[in-house]
Amino acid sequence: MSSWIERSVTRGILTSRYPRETATDEELPVTARAPRPVPGAPPSAAAVSSCPVAAISEKEVDQGKCIRCARCLPNGLSFTGPGEAATRSRAELREGAATPPGTVGSGAPLRELGRSLHVFLIDVGSCNACNLEVLALANPFYDSQRLGIFFTNSPRHADVLLVVGVPTAEMVEPLRRAYEALPAPKAVVAVGACPISGGAFAGTPGLAPVLAELLPVDVFVPGCPPTPVNLLDGLLMLSGRDRRSRGA
Amino acid sequence: MSRTPWRVEPETSAGPERALAYASEDGAFSLYNEYSEGVSILVPRPTRTRGDEPGATWRTDGTSRGVHPLGPAPAMEGYGVFTFPYGPVSMGVPEAGRFDVRTYGERVLNLVPVGGFKPRRIRESVVGTSVEDAALRIERMAGNFSAAHVSAFLSAVESAAHLEVPSVELWTRGLAQELQRIYNHLHVLARVAEAASQNVGLAQTHALAEEVLRVQGRTFGHRWLFGALLPKGPPRRLDPVGRSDVAGALARLSSEFEALWELFLESRTFIDRIQSTCVVDRADAIRWGAVGPTLRACNVNWDDRLRIPSAPYTDLFVALPHESSGDALARVAVRAAEVRASFLLLEQMLDRWPRSPTSLETPAPPVAPGRGIGRVEAPSGDLVYDVAVSDGRVRSLGFRSPSQANWPLFAAGMRNAVFTDFHFAFESFGLVFAETDG
Amino acid sequence: MDALGYLLTVAVVGLFAGAPLSLVHRRVGYGTAAVASALLFAVAVAALVGGPVQGASWSGPLSDPESLRLDGLSAFFALAAAVVWVATSVYSVYYDDRSTPYLAICYSLTLASIALLISSTSLLLFLLGWETMTLASYGMILQAHGRPGKVFSAAFVFLAFGEASTLLVFVAVAALRAMTGSFAEVPVVVGGSLATVVFVAGLIGFGLKMGVAPFHMSEWLPIAHSSAPSNASAVLSSTLTLAGAYGLFRILSLLPSPPLWWGAVVLGIGAVSVLLGALFAAVSEHTKGLPAYSTIENNGLILVALGIAMIARTDGLTDLYVFALFAAFYQALAHAVAKTALFLSAGYIEHSAGTFDLNSVAGRAKGADGSAYAGTLAATLSLAAAPPLAGFVSEWMVLEALFQSYRFSPEWVEFEGLLTGAAVALAAGLILVAMVKFLGFSLLWKPRAARTGGRSWGLGAPIAAAGAVVAGIGIGAPWVLRFLTPSVAAFAGTPVVAPVGGLLSVPDGWSILSGSPFGILSPPMIPIGLGAGALVALAYYGLGRRSGARRAAPWMAGSPPGREGETYTSFGYSTGVRIMMESVLQTREVRTHVGSVAAEEPASPFSYNVDLEVLDVFKLFYDYLVRFGDGVSSVLKSGVMPGRLGRYLAYILIVTLAVVIYVAAAA
Repeated sequence: MSSWIERSVTRGILTSRYPRETATDEELPVTARAPRPVPGAPPSAAAVSSCPVAAISEKEVDQGKCIRCARCLPNGLSFTGPGEAATRSRAELREGAATPPGTVGSGAPLRELGRSLHVFLIDVGSCNACNLEVLALANPFYDSQRLGIFFTNSPRHADVLLVVGVPTAEMVEPLRRAYEALPAPKAVVAVGACPISGGAFAGTPGLAPVLAELLPVDVFVPGCPPTPVNLLDGLLMLSGRDRRSRGA
Repeated sequence: MSRTPWRVEPETSAGPERALAYASEDGAFSLYNEYSEGVSILVPRPTRTRGDEPGATWRTDGTSRGVHPLGPAPAMEGYGVFTFPYGPVSMGVPEAGRFDVRTYGERVLNLVPVGGFKPRRIRESVVGTSVEDAALRIERMAGNFSAAHVSAFLSAVESAAHLEVPSVELWTRGLAQELQRIYNHLHVLARVAEAASQNVGLAQTHALAEEVLRVQGRTFGHRWLFGALLPKGPPRRLDPVGRSDVAGALARLSSEFEALWELFLESRTFIDRIQSTCVVDRADAIRWGAVGPTLRACNVNWDDRLRIPSAPYTDLFVALPHESSGDALARVAVRAAEVRASFLLLEQMLDRWPRSPTSLETPAPPVAPGRGIGRVEAPSGDLVYDVAVSDGRVRSLGFRSPSQANWPLFAAGMRNAVFTDFHFAFESFGLVFAETDG
Repeated sequence: MDALGYLLTVAVVGLFAGAPLSLVHRRVGYGTAAVASALLFAVAVAALVGGPVQGASWSGPLSDPESLRLDGLSAFFALAAAVVWVATSVYSVYYDDRSTPYLAICYSLTLASIALLISSTSLLLFLLGWETMTLASYGMILQAHGRPGKVFSAAFVFLAFGEASTLLVFVAVAALRAMTGSFAEVPVVVGGSLATVVFVAGLIGFGLKMGVAPFHMSEWLPIAHSSAPSNASAVLSSTLTLAGAYGLFRILSLLPSPPLWWGAVVLGIGAVSVLLGALFAAVSEHTKGLPAYSTIENNGLILVALGIAMIARTDGLTDLYVFALFAAFYQALAHAVAKTALFLSAGYIEHSAGTFDLNSVAGRAKGADGSAYAGTLAATLSLAAAPPLAGFVSEWMVLEALFQSYRFSPEWVEFEGLLTGAAVALAAGLILVAMVKFLGFSLLWKPRAARTGGRSWGLGAPIAAAGAVVAGIGIGAPWVLRFLTPSVAAFAGTPVVAPVGGLLSVPDGWSILSGSPFGILSPPMIPIGLGAGALVALAYYGLGRRSGARRAAPWMAGSPPGREGETYTSFGYSTGVRIMMESVLQTREVRTHVGSVAAEEPASPFSYNVDLEVLDVFKLFYDYLVRFGDGVSSVLKSGVMPGRLGRYLAYILIVTLAVVIYVAAAA
C-alpha cells in the first residue's frame, strides 16, 4: 500500500525543460510541427490540390490555415518545421518567397505586461481539443506556473485573452464583453487554425468573421490543435521570453 | 458474414425498460434500446414524440435553433427567487455554454443547461462533400471523442455503401477508441479531483492523461487522432515494433492507474464530496434516454461494445462494469472500472493483432438504399450516426451524441443541490457542448 | 429658578404645546417640536458643562414635591434624545403628508412625555410620563398605512407590551417608595429583599421598552409588521429605547452596591439580545425590520457594557468599572443617532421606491439624493462598526471591556464574560451582513440621480445631518467622553476621570485607554492617517500620471448584465446565513405545487412555488402565552361569568354570608 507522498517521490520530476532546452520528440509529435515543402522546391500541383483548406499554393504555404490533416505528405511536403511557429502577425504565417521559412521571428514584446502573464481562456466555438490542450498547460509535464503563466477566473484579473475556436455568430457579443472587461494593457492570442482562418470550418455559412477582424490579435499560434509546447511558445512571445527571442 | 445488430419491429414506443436511442430528422426510422433483453430495436417508421421526450431536445439544427435549453425544468417562483446565469464564458466550464440556475440563495431549485452558443453547422456543411472531406469535420465535432465520431461515421458510410472493411482497419479503430476512452476517463477523474481540491491527485491523474496523449501522438502522429483513421493521414507506427512499444507503455500506465485509483478510494474527503451528489434515478435515466457511464451507474447493463457487437470486440473479452447508486461516485467508479477494462482490451488487442491484411469484415446491412447507421460506444456513451451517401458524397447526415442524451439527467440531478455541488456533478457526466451544438 | 431653569421648563412645555398646535397645521406642530428640541439640547449641554439645571417645581397629586431638573444623568439622555428629535422633527415636516393631524399630535405627545420622564425628579411624575409615552406611541403606530386589521393587531401588541412594562415599573416605583418613604429620586441607603424586587421589576419593565431578549418581539413586530410611519419608527427605536435605558440607569443609580448576580443577569440578557438581534437583522428583508432588529442588538450592547460595569464594581475593579460605564453611555449615544439616520433613510427609500421590501427596491428606486446617500452610508457603517465612526468606537470599547473579563473573580462569571465576548464578536459579523445588505440593495442600486429638489431635500438633509453627527462623535470620541464625565459621575455617585490620554507621539487627550494600560485607540488619528495617505496618492497621481480610467460593464460570464430577474436578490444574499443557522432560525422550505403536467409546453411541464421561511422561536412562547390567556378567559367567560342571573345572585349571596361571618367572628 503506497501513499501520495511515496508515489510523488518515486515518480520523480516530470516537468519539461522547455524553453530552456529544445522540445523533445515526446512533446512534439509529427503533426505538432509545421508542414514544409522540400527545401528549394516549390509545392507541386498535386500538393496544392491535396490540401482540403487550400493552405498550399505554388508560391507559399499558409500555416494559419493548416489543419494538420497530413494529406500533403505523399505530395512532397513533410512536417519538418520547428515546434515554435507562433508569430506576431498574420502575414508572417504565410511562408513563401516573401517570408522564407526560418525568417519568421518574434515581434517586439509587450514590455508593459511584465514577466508574468495572467491568462483568461475563452471558447468561441471550438471542438474542445484546443481547450484541453490549454488546460494541459497546468499538468506536471508543462507546469505553466513555473514560467509565470497563471490562469484567472475572471477577465477582469487577466492580461491576456486566449481565444480558442472558430468564432460563431452567437459568441461575438460575449467575446466583445470579455475583451472589454480586460483592463489595459492587454493582449489577445489566437490559438489554433480556427480563429486564425476558420480552420476546417472555413467558408461555412453562418459563422462570424475570423478573429483578426473582430479584435486586434497580438499573437497567432497555428496548429490543430497546437500542442502545449506550441502554446508556451506563443504565450512567452508576449513577454519576449520565447526561445527565438532569446536567440536560442 | 452478415450480422444484424438490431431487431426490426414495425412499431414500438418507450417503456419502463425501453428507451429511445435515436429518432431521425426526416422520420424515416427510430432506434430503441430494450434494456431487459439487451437488444436494439429498429422501427422503420416515424415516431411521434411528446414535447418533453428525448427526441425533442436532441434535434440539433444549429442554423435556425439558436440558443436553446437542453432539458426541461419546472418553473419555480417564490419570494426572493431569481435566475443566475452561469456562462457562456466561465472558467469552471471551459466550453461555451450557459447554465440558468434558479435559486433563492445557496440552493439550486432547478438548473437549465442552455446550448447553441457554438454551432459550427457541421451537419449542414458536410452535405454534398466527399466522404473524406466530411470526415475531416466529423473528427472535429468533439476533439476529445474524435476516434469515436469518425468510427461511427465511417461505419455508417460502409453500411450505406455495402463496403467491406479490412479487419486491420477495424482493429485500428478499436485501438484508437480504447486509447481515447482511457484519456477521457482519466480527464474526468482529474477534473473531479480538482473540484474536490485534491491537488496532488489532480496532478498525478493529469500526468497520466498526458502520457496517454503522448502514446497517441507517437503511435498515430497526432495527439488527438485527427486523420488517424482516415485513408490519408499522419504516419502510423503500428508495425510490430510500434505495437510492442505501445504495449509496454500501456502496461506501465495500467499499474500506475491501479495504484492511483486505490489512493483515491482511500481519500475520505474525495469520496464525501461525490457520494450522494447529483443522484440520477434509474427510471428517469431510462425514460430520458441516458447513455454511457451515466446509464451504467444507474444499474442498467448497456454498452454498445457488448450489445451491438462489431470487430474487434467480437473477438475480445469485455467486462461490463456497472454501479447502482446513480450518484457522482458511481459514475466516477464506472469510469475507473472502464479504464481498467480498456487496458485489458488493449493488451488483448495488441497481443492478437490481425496478421493478414486481406481478411475482410462486412459491415451491418444498410437501413435504406444508400443509407446506413453507425453506432459506437464513445467514452461518454452511445453515439449514433445516420448517413446517406451516393457517388462517394454525403447526401444527408444525422447524429445523436451522448452529450445530447445526457443533458436532461444532469439538469434533473442538480435539483435541490447546493452551488458547490455543481462542478462535481458536471464533471462526473463528461458532457461536451461541442458535440451538442454540432 | 435661573435662566437655564426657565429654558428647561419652556422646552418641556413647548414639546407639549406641539400637540394642540398640530391641530392648526401639522407642520406647525413639527416645527414647534423641532425648536423645543433644539432648546432642550442647549439646556442639556449647559447642564453637562455647568452643573445641574433646576426647572419649575410644584406639588404633585399625592402632595409630593415634583420638579423638572437635569442632573448629570438626565442631561445626557436629554441631550441624546434632543439630537434625535431635531432631526426627526425637521424630517417630519417634509415627510408627513397625511390629511389628518393625528400623527403630528401623537408625535409631539411622545416627545413631550419622554422629555418629562427624563427631567422629572419624582418617581410619580416619571411613571406618568412613562404611561403617556406608551399611549402616545400607540397612537403613532395606529397611523400606519395598511390593512386595518393588521395595523391594529400590531399596535395592540405594542400596547400590551407597553402596559406590561408600565405595570412592572409601577411595582418598582412602589417598592422604592416603600424603602425610602417618598417618591423623590434619592439614593437608597439600605438594601434588602425590596431592592431585589426593584431590580427585577425594573430590569424586566425597562427591558421591555428597550426591546432586549426575551422581550424583543415588542420591538420588531410593531415596526416590521405594521409598517408604522418612518418618523414614528425613528422615534420609537431611538428614543423609546433610550427612555428605557434611562429608567434602568436611574433606578440602578438609586440602589446601593449591587450583588454579583445582578451584573451577571444584565450581562447575560445583553449577550442574548446582541446575538439574536444581529442574526435576525441579517436575514430580514424589510427596510424597517432590519434596523429594528439592529436596535435590539445595540441595546443588548448597552446592557453588556452595563453588566460588566456592575460586575467590576462588585469585584472592586474600579478602572474597569469606569471604563465600562463610559462604554455604555457612549454606545447609547452612538446608537441613538445612527439608528435615527437609518430609519429616516428607510422613509426616504419608501419615498423613492414605494416599498418596504428590500427585494423590490432595486427595480424601482429612482436614485438617491447625495445627502441622503451620505447620511445612510455613515449610519450603516457606524452600526457595522467601521472606523472611524461612532459605532466603531463604542464596539471597540465594549469589546475591550469584555477582554478584561478575565479579571472577574468567581470563575463562572469569567466564563460568562468569555461566552458574551464570543456572542458579541459573532454578532459583529452578522450585523455587517445586515448593514451591507441594507445599503447595497437600497440606495446603492441605481447611480445617484440628479437632485429631485423640493420635498426630497427636506428628507435628505436630516439624514445627512445625523450621519455627520455620527462621524463627528466618532472622530472626536476622546473629547465626547470627556464631555460625558459629569453624567458618568452622576450615575456612579463618585467623581470619575474619563479614560482618555496619550501615548507615543499622539497628543495627550487624543486617545482612549481601556484599563491601565490595556488597549488604546485614537479615533482622531484615523482620518489624519487616511488623509495623509490620500495626499500621497493624490500627489503621485497628480504628478503627470495619466489616470485613464475606462468604464466597462460588469462581467456576468459573458451574458448581458443586469437583466430583469437575473440579478442577485437581497434574499439570496443572506440565504447563506439562513441555511447555516437553520437550527436557531428554524429555517424551512415550503413548496407548493402550482401547475399541472402540460404536454404542450415542454419547457416547463410543471411549476412550483418555493418559499424559504425563518421564524423567531421566542414568538412561539408568546403565541403559547396568548393561547393560554385565551383559554383562561374563555374558561372564565363560560364557567365563572356565564351571564346567568341565578349564578350572579348566588355569588352575591355567598359573599354577603362570608362578610357577615367574618365581621361576626372579628367582633
